Amino acid sequence: MKNSYFPGCNLKTEAKGFEQSAIAVSKELDAELVEMPEWNCCGTVQTMTTDNLMRRIAPVRVLSRASKHVKELEGSPNQVTTLCSMCNSTLKIVNAEVKENPNDLEKINFQLENDDLVYEGDMEVKHFLEILRDNVGYENIAKKVTNPLEGMKIASYYGCMLLHPEKAKIDDEEMPTVMESIALSLGAEVVDWPYFKQCCGSYHIVDRDDIVNSQVVKIIRNAKKTGANALIVACPLCAYNLDNQQVELEKLGVEKDPIPIFYFTQLMAIAMGLPQKVNHFEDHHINPKTLLKELGLLGKKK
Amino acid sequence: MSYDYIEFGESEKEFTSKIEEISGQNIFSCYQCGKCSAGCAFSNLMEKTINHTMQLVQLGKKEKVLQSNTHWVCASCLTCTVRCPREIDVAAVMEAIREYTLRYEPETIERLDLPEELLKKIPNIALVGSFRKKSEL
Repeated sequence: MKNSYFPGCNLKTEAKGFEQSAIAVSKELDAELVEMPEWNCCGTVQTMTTDNLMRRIAPVRVLSRASKHVKELEGSPNQVTTLCSMCNSTLKIVNAEVKENPNDLEKINFQLENDDLVYEGDMEVKHFLEILRDNVGYENIAKKVTNPLEGMKIASYYGCMLLHPEKAKIDDEEMPTVMESIALSLGAEVVDWPYFKQCCGSYHIVDRDDIVNSQVVKIIRNAKKTGANALIVACPLCAYNLDNQQVELEKLGVEKDPIPIFYFTQLMAIAMGLPQKVNHFEDHHINPKTLLKELGLLGKKK
Repeated sequence: MSYDYIEFGESEKEFTSKIEEISGQNIFSCYQCGKCSAGCAFSNLMEKTINHTMQLVQLGKKEKVLQSNTHWVCASCLTCTVRCPREIDVAAVMEAIREYTLRYEPETIERLDLPEELLKKIPNIALVGSFRKKSEL
Protein backbone atom coordinates (compact mmCIF):
# COMPACT_ATOMS: atom_id res chain seq x y z
CA MET A 1 0.00 0.00 0.00
CA LYS A 2 1.18 3.51 -0.77
CA ASN A 3 0.36 6.49 1.42
CA SER A 4 0.32 10.10 0.35
CA TYR A 5 2.70 11.78 2.76
CA PHE A 6 2.81 15.43 3.85
CA PRO A 7 6.24 16.22 5.33
CA GLY A 8 5.90 19.74 6.73
CA CYS A 9 8.85 22.10 6.98
CA ASN A 10 10.84 20.63 9.85
CA LEU A 11 11.21 17.18 8.36
CA LYS A 12 13.38 18.79 5.67
CA THR A 13 15.59 20.71 8.10
CA GLU A 14 16.16 19.70 11.75
CA ALA A 15 14.30 16.40 11.60
CA LYS A 16 15.78 14.78 8.48
CA GLY A 17 16.43 11.65 10.53
CA PHE A 18 12.72 11.41 11.38
CA GLU A 19 11.63 11.62 7.74
CA GLN A 20 14.26 9.36 6.23
CA SER A 21 13.97 6.66 8.89
CA ALA A 22 10.18 6.75 8.57
CA ILE A 23 10.30 6.37 4.79
CA ALA A 24 12.80 3.50 5.06
CA VAL A 25 10.65 1.77 7.69
CA SER A 26 7.44 2.34 5.72
CA LYS A 27 8.95 0.57 2.70
CA GLU A 28 9.92 -2.43 4.85
CA LEU A 29 6.39 -2.66 6.18
CA ASP A 30 4.63 -2.28 2.83
CA ALA A 31 3.04 1.00 3.86
CA GLU A 32 5.26 3.26 1.79
CA LEU A 33 5.16 6.99 2.41
CA VAL A 34 5.19 8.86 -0.91
CA GLU A 35 5.76 12.59 -0.64
CA MET A 36 2.94 14.64 -2.09
CA PRO A 37 3.92 17.28 -4.68
CA GLU A 38 3.62 21.05 -4.16
CA TRP A 39 2.96 21.03 -0.44
CA ASN A 40 3.17 24.14 1.70
CA CYS A 41 3.59 24.90 5.41
CA CYS A 42 0.38 24.05 7.28
CA GLY A 43 0.81 27.01 9.64
CA THR A 44 2.14 24.87 12.53
CA VAL A 45 -0.37 25.95 15.16
CA GLN A 46 -4.09 25.85 14.59
CA THR A 47 -6.08 28.95 15.33
CA MET A 48 -8.65 28.51 18.07
CA THR A 49 -10.58 31.57 16.98
CA THR A 50 -13.97 31.24 15.31
CA ASP A 51 -13.50 33.92 12.72
CA ASN A 52 -9.95 33.78 11.38
CA LEU A 53 -10.30 32.02 8.04
CA MET A 54 -6.92 33.26 6.80
CA ARG A 55 -5.18 30.87 9.18
CA ARG A 56 -7.18 27.98 7.74
CA ILE A 57 -6.28 28.51 4.10
CA ALA A 58 -2.87 26.83 4.23
CA PRO A 59 -4.09 23.51 5.69
CA VAL A 60 -7.02 23.39 3.25
CA ARG A 61 -4.63 23.94 0.38
CA VAL A 62 -2.51 21.02 1.60
CA LEU A 63 -5.63 18.85 1.76
CA SER A 64 -6.76 19.81 -1.76
CA ARG A 65 -3.35 18.96 -3.20
CA ALA A 66 -3.16 15.72 -1.23
CA SER A 67 -6.57 14.82 -2.59
CA LYS A 68 -5.16 15.18 -6.11
CA HIS A 69 -2.10 13.14 -5.14
CA VAL A 70 -4.05 10.14 -3.81
CA LYS A 71 -5.86 9.87 -7.14
CA GLU A 72 -2.48 9.43 -8.82
CA LEU A 73 -1.33 6.81 -6.30
CA GLU A 74 -2.59 3.35 -7.06
CA GLY A 75 -4.69 1.78 -4.33
CA SER A 76 -4.26 4.63 -1.88
CA PRO A 77 -7.15 5.42 0.46
CA ASN A 78 -8.37 9.03 0.63
CA GLN A 79 -5.95 10.00 3.33
CA VAL A 80 -2.81 11.99 3.86
CA THR A 81 -0.20 10.82 6.35
CA THR A 82 1.91 13.07 8.55
CA LEU A 83 4.91 12.51 10.79
CA CYS A 84 5.11 15.81 12.68
CA SER A 85 2.49 15.85 15.42
CA MET A 86 1.93 19.61 15.09
CA CYS A 87 1.14 19.26 11.38
CA ASN A 88 -1.03 16.27 12.20
CA SER A 89 -3.06 18.21 14.70
CA THR A 90 -3.40 21.36 12.57
CA LEU A 91 -4.49 19.44 9.47
CA LYS A 92 -6.89 17.21 11.40
CA ILE A 93 -8.57 20.10 13.22
CA VAL A 94 -8.98 22.27 10.14
CA ASN A 95 -10.21 19.28 8.14
CA ALA A 96 -12.89 18.60 10.77
CA GLU A 97 -13.81 22.29 11.00
CA VAL A 98 -14.33 22.82 7.27
CA LYS A 99 -16.34 19.60 7.01
CA GLU A 100 -18.62 20.91 9.76
CA ASN A 101 -18.86 24.38 8.23
CA PRO A 102 -19.44 24.21 4.46
CA ASN A 103 -19.81 28.01 4.31
CA ASP A 104 -16.29 28.47 5.62
CA LEU A 105 -14.98 25.91 3.17
CA GLU A 106 -16.63 27.76 0.32
CA LYS A 107 -14.96 31.02 1.35
CA ILE A 108 -11.58 29.31 1.68
CA ASN A 109 -11.97 27.54 -1.66
CA PHE A 110 -12.65 30.94 -3.22
CA GLN A 111 -9.13 31.91 -2.12
CA LEU A 112 -7.76 28.81 -3.83
CA GLU A 113 -9.32 29.57 -7.21
CA ASN A 114 -6.00 30.51 -8.77
CA ASP A 115 -4.77 27.04 -7.81
CA ASP A 116 -7.18 25.31 -10.21
CA LEU A 117 -7.95 23.07 -7.26
CA VAL A 118 -10.59 23.28 -4.61
CA TYR A 119 -11.04 21.07 -1.58
CA GLU A 120 -14.11 18.83 -1.63
CA GLY A 121 -13.88 17.79 2.02
CA ASP A 122 -13.10 14.21 1.00
CA MET A 123 -9.83 13.55 2.84
CA GLU A 124 -8.80 12.06 6.15
CA VAL A 125 -5.60 12.91 7.97
CA LYS A 126 -3.59 10.14 9.62
CA HIS A 127 -0.48 10.17 11.71
CA PHE A 128 2.11 7.53 10.78
CA LEU A 129 1.57 6.01 14.25
CA GLU A 130 -2.05 5.35 13.30
CA ILE A 131 -0.96 3.69 10.06
CA LEU A 132 1.43 1.46 12.03
CA ARG A 133 -1.24 0.51 14.56
CA ASP A 134 -4.30 0.17 12.30
CA ASN A 135 -2.95 -0.85 8.89
CA VAL A 136 0.37 -2.55 9.57
CA GLY A 137 -0.22 -4.07 13.02
CA TYR A 138 2.28 -4.53 15.84
CA GLU A 139 2.83 -8.23 15.08
CA ASN A 140 3.98 -7.39 11.55
CA ILE A 141 6.42 -4.83 12.96
CA ALA A 142 7.77 -7.51 15.34
CA LYS A 143 8.26 -9.90 12.41
CA LYS A 144 10.68 -7.47 10.75
CA VAL A 145 12.86 -7.04 13.84
CA THR A 146 16.32 -8.51 13.34
CA ASN A 147 18.10 -6.51 16.01
CA PRO A 148 15.88 -6.45 19.12
CA LEU A 149 16.43 -3.43 21.32
CA GLU A 150 17.55 -5.38 24.37
CA GLY A 151 18.60 -3.17 27.25
CA MET A 152 16.64 -0.13 26.11
CA LYS A 153 14.21 1.21 28.68
CA ILE A 154 12.00 3.62 26.85
CA ALA A 155 9.83 6.43 28.12
CA SER A 156 7.29 7.28 25.40
CA TYR A 157 6.77 11.01 25.27
CA TYR A 158 3.58 11.88 23.39
CA GLY A 159 3.60 15.61 24.01
CA CYS A 160 0.34 17.49 23.68
CA MET A 161 -0.52 17.53 20.02
CA LEU A 162 -0.86 13.78 19.50
CA LEU A 163 -3.51 13.55 22.21
CA HIS A 164 -5.23 16.96 22.20
CA PRO A 165 -7.81 18.07 21.33
CA GLU A 166 -10.65 15.59 20.80
CA LYS A 167 -10.73 16.29 17.04
CA ALA A 168 -7.06 15.45 16.54
CA LYS A 169 -6.20 12.77 19.05
CA ILE A 170 -4.69 9.53 17.78
CA ASP A 171 -5.21 7.54 20.97
CA ASP A 172 -6.81 7.78 24.42
CA GLU A 173 -5.92 11.24 25.73
CA GLU A 174 -5.20 10.14 29.29
CA MET A 175 -3.92 6.61 28.71
CA PRO A 176 -2.36 6.17 25.28
CA THR A 177 -0.59 2.93 24.34
CA VAL A 178 0.44 3.17 20.69
CA MET A 179 4.05 4.27 21.23
CA GLU A 180 4.57 1.77 24.07
CA SER A 181 3.19 -1.05 21.91
CA ILE A 182 5.59 -0.19 19.10
CA ALA A 183 8.55 -0.04 21.50
CA LEU A 184 7.55 -3.43 22.93
CA SER A 185 7.29 -4.98 19.48
CA LEU A 186 10.87 -3.79 18.83
CA GLY A 187 12.06 -5.78 21.84
CA ALA A 188 12.58 -2.82 24.16
CA GLU A 189 11.30 -2.38 27.69
CA VAL A 190 8.91 0.47 28.40
CA VAL A 191 8.36 2.48 31.55
CA ASP A 192 5.09 3.67 33.00
CA TRP A 193 5.44 7.35 33.78
CA PRO A 194 3.07 10.22 34.45
CA TYR A 195 4.83 12.90 32.39
CA PHE A 196 4.10 11.30 28.99
CA LYS A 197 2.09 14.30 27.83
CA GLN A 198 3.33 17.12 30.05
CA CYS A 199 3.83 19.99 27.58
CA CYS A 200 7.50 20.71 26.78
CA GLY A 201 6.86 24.45 26.47
CA SER A 202 6.52 24.31 22.69
CA TYR A 203 7.13 27.57 20.80
CA HIS A 204 8.09 29.42 24.00
CA ILE A 205 11.63 28.29 23.14
CA VAL A 206 11.84 31.35 20.87
CA ASP A 207 11.59 34.02 23.55
CA ARG A 208 10.96 32.30 26.89
CA ASP A 209 13.43 29.44 27.18
CA ASP A 210 13.04 29.65 30.98
CA ILE A 211 9.52 28.23 30.55
CA VAL A 212 10.83 25.39 28.39
CA ASN A 213 13.70 24.67 30.78
CA SER A 214 11.40 24.34 33.79
CA GLN A 215 9.30 21.82 31.83
CA VAL A 216 12.27 19.86 30.50
CA VAL A 217 13.70 19.47 34.01
CA LYS A 218 10.40 18.02 35.27
CA ILE A 219 10.00 15.67 32.30
CA ILE A 220 13.59 14.38 32.24
CA ARG A 221 13.86 13.92 36.01
CA ASN A 222 10.68 11.89 36.02
CA ALA A 223 11.85 9.74 33.10
CA LYS A 224 15.15 9.06 34.84
CA LYS A 225 13.40 8.24 38.09
CA THR A 226 11.50 5.42 36.39
CA GLY A 227 14.79 4.01 35.07
CA ALA A 228 14.36 5.04 31.43
CA ASN A 229 17.56 5.36 29.40
CA ALA A 230 15.92 6.89 26.31
CA LEU A 231 12.90 8.93 25.29
CA ILE A 232 10.93 8.47 22.09
CA VAL A 233 9.01 11.33 20.50
CA ALA A 234 6.95 12.07 17.39
CA CYS A 235 7.30 15.83 17.19
CA PRO A 236 10.34 17.77 15.95
CA LEU A 237 9.67 20.58 18.42
CA CYS A 238 9.42 18.27 21.45
CA ALA A 239 12.59 16.63 20.16
CA TYR A 240 14.47 19.91 19.90
CA ASN A 241 13.30 21.19 23.30
CA LEU A 242 14.09 17.97 25.15
CA ASP A 243 17.35 17.36 23.30
CA ASN A 244 18.93 20.80 23.05
CA GLN A 245 17.68 22.10 26.39
CA GLN A 246 19.15 19.13 28.27
CA VAL A 247 22.52 20.25 26.90
CA GLU A 248 21.79 23.85 27.91
CA LEU A 249 20.71 22.73 31.39
CA GLU A 250 23.94 20.80 31.75
CA LYS A 251 25.89 23.97 30.87
CA LEU A 252 23.90 25.84 33.52
CA GLY A 253 24.73 23.13 36.05
CA VAL A 254 21.05 22.30 36.65
CA GLU A 255 20.97 18.75 35.25
CA LYS A 256 23.63 16.25 34.38
CA ASP A 257 23.76 12.87 32.58
CA PRO A 258 21.43 13.79 29.72
CA ILE A 259 19.45 10.95 28.15
CA PRO A 260 19.13 10.62 24.38
CA ILE A 261 15.96 11.56 22.47
CA PHE A 262 14.92 9.37 19.53
CA TYR A 263 12.15 9.62 17.00
CA PHE A 264 10.22 6.35 17.26
CA THR A 265 11.02 5.65 13.60
CA GLN A 266 14.76 5.83 14.27
CA LEU A 267 14.49 3.01 16.79
CA MET A 268 12.37 1.05 14.31
CA ALA A 269 15.10 1.48 11.70
CA ILE A 270 17.75 0.25 14.16
CA ALA A 271 15.67 -2.73 15.25
CA MET A 272 15.03 -3.65 11.62
CA GLY A 273 18.73 -3.40 10.80
CA LEU A 274 18.26 -0.65 8.20
CA PRO A 275 21.25 1.45 7.05
CA GLN A 276 22.51 3.78 9.76
CA LYS A 277 22.57 6.90 7.57
CA VAL A 278 18.77 7.29 7.50
CA ASN A 279 18.84 8.26 11.17
CA HIS A 280 20.95 11.42 10.80
CA PHE A 281 22.23 11.14 14.35
CA GLU A 282 24.65 13.98 13.58
CA ASP A 283 21.71 16.41 13.92
CA HIS A 284 21.10 15.40 17.55
CA HIS A 285 22.45 17.49 20.39
CA ILE A 286 22.90 14.55 22.76
CA ASN A 287 24.71 11.82 20.86
CA PRO A 288 22.39 8.78 20.77
CA LYS A 289 25.23 6.54 19.56
CA THR A 290 26.78 6.46 23.03
CA LEU A 291 23.86 4.50 24.45
CA LEU A 292 23.47 2.33 21.35
CA LYS A 293 27.17 1.39 21.47
CA GLU A 294 26.94 0.62 25.17
CA LEU A 295 24.06 -1.78 24.52
CA GLY A 296 25.74 -3.30 21.45
CA LEU A 297 22.94 -2.20 19.13
CA LEU A 298 24.98 -0.16 16.70
CA GLY A 299 26.04 -1.32 13.28
CA LYS A 300 24.03 -4.56 13.16
CA LYS A 301 22.57 -5.28 9.77
CA LYS A 302 19.64 -7.41 8.78
CA MET B 1 -27.33 42.43 50.98
CA SER B 2 -25.94 44.63 48.32
CA TYR B 3 -23.97 43.58 45.27
CA ASP B 4 -23.04 47.14 44.32
CA TYR B 5 -19.36 46.26 44.23
CA ILE B 6 -19.89 44.10 41.17
CA GLU B 7 -20.02 46.44 38.23
CA PHE B 8 -21.31 45.00 35.02
CA GLY B 9 -22.01 47.90 32.73
CA GLU B 10 -21.71 48.33 28.98
CA SER B 11 -17.91 48.35 28.87
CA GLU B 12 -17.66 45.16 30.95
CA LYS B 13 -20.28 43.47 28.82
CA GLU B 14 -18.47 44.49 25.65
CA PHE B 15 -15.23 42.82 26.71
CA THR B 16 -16.93 39.61 27.80
CA SER B 17 -18.94 39.40 24.57
CA LYS B 18 -15.89 40.05 22.43
CA ILE B 19 -13.98 37.19 24.10
CA GLU B 20 -17.02 34.95 23.66
CA GLU B 21 -17.30 35.95 20.03
CA ILE B 22 -13.63 35.31 19.18
CA SER B 23 -13.44 32.03 21.10
CA GLY B 24 -16.92 30.76 20.28
CA GLN B 25 -17.29 29.69 23.93
CA ASN B 26 -19.92 30.39 26.54
CA ILE B 27 -17.81 31.92 29.31
CA PHE B 28 -20.67 31.67 31.79
CA SER B 29 -20.57 27.88 31.61
CA CYS B 30 -17.56 28.01 33.92
CA TYR B 31 -18.50 27.08 37.49
CA GLN B 32 -15.02 27.55 38.98
CA CYS B 33 -14.08 23.95 39.72
CA GLY B 34 -10.43 24.81 39.07
CA LYS B 35 -9.58 21.68 37.11
CA CYS B 36 -8.00 23.80 34.34
CA SER B 37 -5.55 25.41 36.75
CA ALA B 38 -4.86 22.14 38.57
CA GLY B 39 -3.86 20.33 35.38
CA CYS B 40 -2.03 23.22 33.76
CA ALA B 41 1.70 22.57 33.33
CA PHE B 42 2.41 26.29 33.64
CA SER B 43 0.21 27.39 36.56
CA ASN B 44 3.27 28.14 38.70
CA LEU B 45 4.45 30.71 36.14
CA MET B 46 1.12 32.49 35.76
CA GLU B 47 0.32 35.68 37.68
CA LYS B 48 -3.32 34.67 37.80
CA THR B 49 -4.53 31.09 37.56
CA ILE B 50 -6.68 30.11 34.59
CA ASN B 51 -9.90 29.74 36.54
CA HIS B 52 -9.31 33.17 38.09
CA THR B 53 -8.86 34.58 34.59
CA MET B 54 -12.07 32.86 33.50
CA GLN B 55 -13.94 34.56 36.34
CA LEU B 56 -12.45 37.95 35.48
CA VAL B 57 -13.61 37.49 31.88
CA GLN B 58 -17.10 36.64 33.16
CA LEU B 59 -17.04 39.89 35.11
CA GLY B 60 -15.68 41.86 32.14
CA LYS B 61 -12.60 43.02 34.05
CA LYS B 62 -10.61 43.81 30.92
CA GLU B 63 -7.72 45.66 32.56
CA LYS B 64 -7.06 42.92 35.09
CA VAL B 65 -7.23 40.21 32.45
CA LEU B 66 -4.90 41.97 30.02
CA GLN B 67 -2.38 43.01 32.69
CA SER B 68 -1.80 39.41 33.75
CA ASN B 69 0.71 37.22 31.92
CA THR B 70 -1.60 34.18 32.06
CA HIS B 71 -2.64 34.08 28.41
CA TRP B 72 0.94 34.71 27.21
CA VAL B 73 2.37 31.89 29.36
CA CYS B 74 -0.25 29.47 28.00
CA ALA B 75 1.45 27.27 25.41
CA SER B 76 -1.81 25.97 23.86
CA CYS B 77 -1.23 22.39 25.00
CA LEU B 78 -5.02 22.06 25.44
CA THR B 79 -4.87 19.95 28.61
CA CYS B 80 -7.45 22.29 30.19
CA THR B 81 -9.69 21.97 27.14
CA VAL B 82 -9.81 18.18 27.15
CA ARG B 83 -10.41 18.06 30.93
CA CYS B 84 -13.03 20.78 31.41
CA PRO B 85 -16.17 19.15 32.86
CA ARG B 86 -18.26 21.96 31.36
CA GLU B 87 -16.75 21.27 27.93
CA ILE B 88 -15.45 24.79 27.55
CA ASP B 89 -12.52 25.10 25.16
CA VAL B 90 -10.51 26.91 27.82
CA ALA B 91 -7.41 27.19 25.63
CA ALA B 92 -9.57 28.93 23.01
CA VAL B 93 -10.50 31.51 25.65
CA MET B 94 -6.79 32.11 26.31
CA GLU B 95 -6.29 32.39 22.55
CA ALA B 96 -9.17 34.87 22.36
CA ILE B 97 -7.54 37.06 25.03
CA ARG B 98 -4.27 37.01 23.04
CA GLU B 99 -6.17 37.79 19.85
CA TYR B 100 -8.10 40.60 21.55
CA THR B 101 -4.81 42.21 22.54
CA LEU B 102 -3.29 41.70 19.10
CA ARG B 103 -6.35 43.00 17.28
CA TYR B 104 -7.35 45.92 19.46
CA GLU B 105 -4.29 46.87 21.50
CA PRO B 106 -1.36 46.39 19.15
CA GLU B 107 0.76 49.03 20.88
CA THR B 108 1.23 46.68 23.85
CA ILE B 109 3.12 44.13 21.78
CA GLU B 110 6.88 44.32 21.85
CA ARG B 111 8.63 43.42 18.67
CA LEU B 112 10.95 40.50 19.14
CA ASP B 113 14.56 41.16 18.36
CA LEU B 114 15.99 37.71 17.80
CA PRO B 115 19.72 37.17 17.39
CA GLU B 116 20.76 35.57 14.12
CA GLU B 117 22.44 32.60 15.72
CA LEU B 118 19.19 31.74 17.53
CA LEU B 119 17.26 32.02 14.26
CA LYS B 120 19.62 29.54 12.65
CA LYS B 121 19.34 27.05 15.47
CA ILE B 122 15.67 27.06 16.40
CA PRO B 123 13.27 24.78 14.48
CA ASN B 124 11.09 26.65 12.00
CA ILE B 125 7.91 25.26 13.56
CA ALA B 126 8.86 27.03 16.80
CA LEU B 127 9.31 30.32 14.95
CA VAL B 128 6.08 30.06 12.96
CA GLY B 129 4.19 28.93 16.07
CA SER B 130 5.56 31.72 18.17
CA PHE B 131 4.88 34.47 15.63
CA ARG B 132 1.36 33.20 15.06
CA LYS B 133 0.57 33.16 18.78
CA LYS B 134 2.41 36.26 19.89
CA SER B 135 2.38 38.73 17.01
CA GLU B 136 0.02 40.16 14.42
CA LEU B 137 1.61 38.04 11.69
